[in-house]
Amino acid sequence: MRLLTAWLLPFISLLAPLATAADTAPLRTDHLNSRLVAAQDTVVPGQPLQVGLWLEHDPEWHTYWQNPGDSGLPTRIQFDLPPGFDAGPIRWPIPERLPAGPLVNFGYGGTVVLPVLLTVPADLQAERITLKASADWLVCRVECIPGEGEYTLTLPVAPTAAAAPRWTDDFARAERRQPRPAEADATIGYTEETVEIRLPLTGTLPEEPDAEWVFFPVTPQVVSNTAAPRWVETQDRRALVLPKSDYFVAEPGRFEFLLAQGDTGLLFGTRADASPNAAPIAVPVAADDGFPGLLAALGLALLGGLILNLMPCVFPVLFLKAAAAIEAGGDRARLRRQGAFYTVGVVSSFLAIAMILLALRASGEALGWGFQLQSPVFVAALALLFFVLAMNFAGLVEFGGGGLAGLGQHLVRGQGDRAAFFTGVLACVVASPCTAPFMGVALGAALALPTAAGLIIFAALGLGLALPILALGWVPGLANALPRPGLWMETFRRALAFPLLLTVCWLLWVYGEQTSVLAMSRLLAALVTVAFGLWLLARRDAWRWLGWTALAAGLVLPLLHAPDFDAPRNEPPTAAYEPWSAARLAELRAAGEPVLVNMTAAWCITCLANERVALSSPEFHAALEARGVRYLKGDWTRRDSEITAYLESFGRSGVPLYVLYPGPGRDPVVLPQLLSVAIVRAALEDI
Amino acid sequence: MRKYFPFAVLAMLALATPAATAADAEIGAPAPAFSLTGLDGQTHDLGDFAGKTVVLEWTNHECPFVVKHYDSGNIPQQQATATAAGVVWIVINSSAPGKQGHVTEGEARRIQADWNADQTHYLFDADGAVGRAYGAKTTPHMYVIDPDGVLRYNGAIDSIPSAKIADLEAAEQYVELALAELAASQPVSRPLTQPYGCSVKY
Repeated sequence: MRLLTAWLLPFISLLAPLATAADTAPLRTDHLNSRLVAAQDTVVPGQPLQVGLWLEHDPEWHTYWQNPGDSGLPTRIQFDLPPGFDAGPIRWPIPERLPAGPLVNFGYGGTVVLPVLLTVPADLQAERITLKASADWLVCRVECIPGEGEYTLTLPVAPTAAAAPRWTDDFARAERRQPRPAEADATIGYTEETVEIRLPLTGTLPEEPDAEWVFFPVTPQVVSNTAAPRWVETQDRRALVLPKSDYFVAEPGRFEFLLAQGDTGLLFGTRADASPNAAPIAVPVAADDGFPGLLAALGLALLGGLILNLMPCVFPVLFLKAAAAIEAGGDRARLRRQGAFYTVGVVSSFLAIAMILLALRASGEALGWGFQLQSPVFVAALALLFFVLAMNFAGLVEFGGGGLAGLGQHLVRGQGDRAAFFTGVLACVVASPCTAPFMGVALGAALALPTAAGLIIFAALGLGLALPILALGWVPGLANALPRPGLWMETFRRALAFPLLLTVCWLLWVYGEQTSVLAMSRLLAALVTVAFGLWLLARRDAWRWLGWTALAAGLVLPLLHAPDFDAPRNEPPTAAYEPWSAARLAELRAAGEPVLVNMTAAWCITCLANERVALSSPEFHAALEARGVRYLKGDWTRRDSEITAYLESFGRSGVPLYVLYPGPGRDPVVLPQLLSVAIVRAALEDI
Repeated sequence: MRKYFPFAVLAMLALATPAATAADAEIGAPAPAFSLTGLDGQTHDLGDFAGKTVVLEWTNHECPFVVKHYDSGNIPQQQATATAAGVVWIVINSSAPGKQGHVTEGEARRIQADWNADQTHYLFDADGAVGRAYGAKTTPHMYVIDPDGVLRYNGAIDSIPSAKIADLEAAEQYVELALAELAASQPVSRPLTQPYGCSVKY
């Protein structure tokens, strides 16, 4: 048999090129030759087979990429394959930008292969197989013509692969131009008119794209196809600013884009940006007809709460409660009663936080969920709380009850209703650093709902968090399924100290970002002092007084010694601007002077892009001076209720905002969020 | 979780709100005024139709996407239904002289008659000024203006971008939907969609 195969092989390879050449006479349709081709002249059982739609366009004619751009349609291929074969998606090579008047499309001209990988069954018996495919496309120069074709390709089956020399170059080019997925996601944020994309940290990618690279949106209807992105260098990464698509309706679940230079292409996914501008603070909502949506949101909130139980910061607290349940054994009545109190504790704490938040917002504070974490004092307090919990779990100190140190523990430990309730409160408090980053945007949107609906969503989130403990008492058999109490519980408790410590690390990082290395070091020293104090107290000897002192100092000092927010920040004095204040603006307007207001923030990439392109140019300053325009700049880097109110008076919830007051008797003009020298010059000349 | 929850909430909000966007002609804002000459040789002003719902349809009879919706009877049928209900349906041709789809009055009359079209008016915008003011990108590209002159819909004729008549069956007809919702005094549930077709030949 083997001899026979060896003998036949040369014949097969002789015959094969003939067969394929005959099969793939090109199909001629309007302005396009097409055929189905394979990278190999033989099909090998069990080995993937690279095939492709080969397109030869007449000069100046094009077909389109997966996102065709402003007009056009993506090319589609449907396979009709023998049993056991399977076709993957089109592996789109890097396209070209094709400007057509005011529009831009993405597609291909000249000769191109759109490769598709076929899986071939290992138990293939046939001598030869026939692949069938149909394709449709839109071919355009200025005018467009839809086209379609049907193809068959017959290939011999052979134990080894033989390359198809005729198509080698075309496949090699398509292969060379395959974009690679980037090693890390980019982040994406949205302003009123722009989309801000921050590339991964400098140094995390083998190639660093820069302004020379061409941008292609994979996800349509998010960013403008026509505008080239504006590149902005920040301290640690590059960022791109693009105008939103005219057809932008909602933030997509995941936005993907391609950056390409020559044959190198990087495909990026994005995740939501945590910058304050990204929180949809003032989404206007029609109060009616939100009911099915509300129901869905409630379901999701419940599920979200349930998932929170697995977060590193919540799980240890859950364990506290579960441990109590394990000790309670089969006493169902007690389990139920405790579960109920625990649930009340969780839900009421969530509601309390939501209500505080709503009240603050009603009083004009621009806050989103997670607002607590914007306050370094709160972050420091959380870090201390988590640290003390971690020390307790690690067994450095066992609270014996009584006294101040035992107070918190007293509330949480034990079997009573009160203990159950306060474990619930604790679960909510420790859950907050986890909720903020994971669900900030969603909860921010929930806050924009009518108050009652918003509160119901928060309550559902709390209920979800409490559900596992609640279920212990009510679902028969669940309590019996709990493991028996024993030594393992102590070991497990010790192990849980580590996720708690990791949470402390994260909080310290947040604190450091908000303040400085010095302040963070002080907080670290406070943690050590607290540990020292706890250790002394646990010894129950004559040094207890020192333990108390250390504990008090460690806990209180970092909270008192909050970093000074109003300390002047070192900003380079770039332009002849004055800091904005409502009073100063009113004063200048009363005096009849033209004023340009620029509302900006250090973290706002669009603002930086405008600063660089339009607002730092000598031309801009000359125009300001020539027209006698006063230039006021407001800094929203840290929350400022006066600026928030000003933004809201223009229907905005974020920066940038540029407003030109031309002078007496004329209405203020809001400039676009993406400025160019020409736009600013035209606006100033209009005074 | 992180992926779906925000999306679901935002999608929900998007359904309930007219999106604030940077489109040339903005949803919820007064539609750009225009005054164009029609097939009848008369000048027609958008203001003439105050108090009535107005549909604008950008056309180019040589564009395969326009051909799809006329040959299949989809657009003529929508025109007939809408105009019978008192809606003003205006077809606008923005093809520049010498470009694809640019026609004389006689040709336009014949083309529309061959297709059994049932528009109220057919207007010429050869310099493209009105097309640019509305940001018309494709043929067809559809707009719906309410009786107060406020733009309520901007986008595609339907939900499946293709030039194949076979795709009509499964497609959601956005203009029909918007007209029905306006007639029922409801907000338009999809005020903004991405238009598809041939580029307008300005």
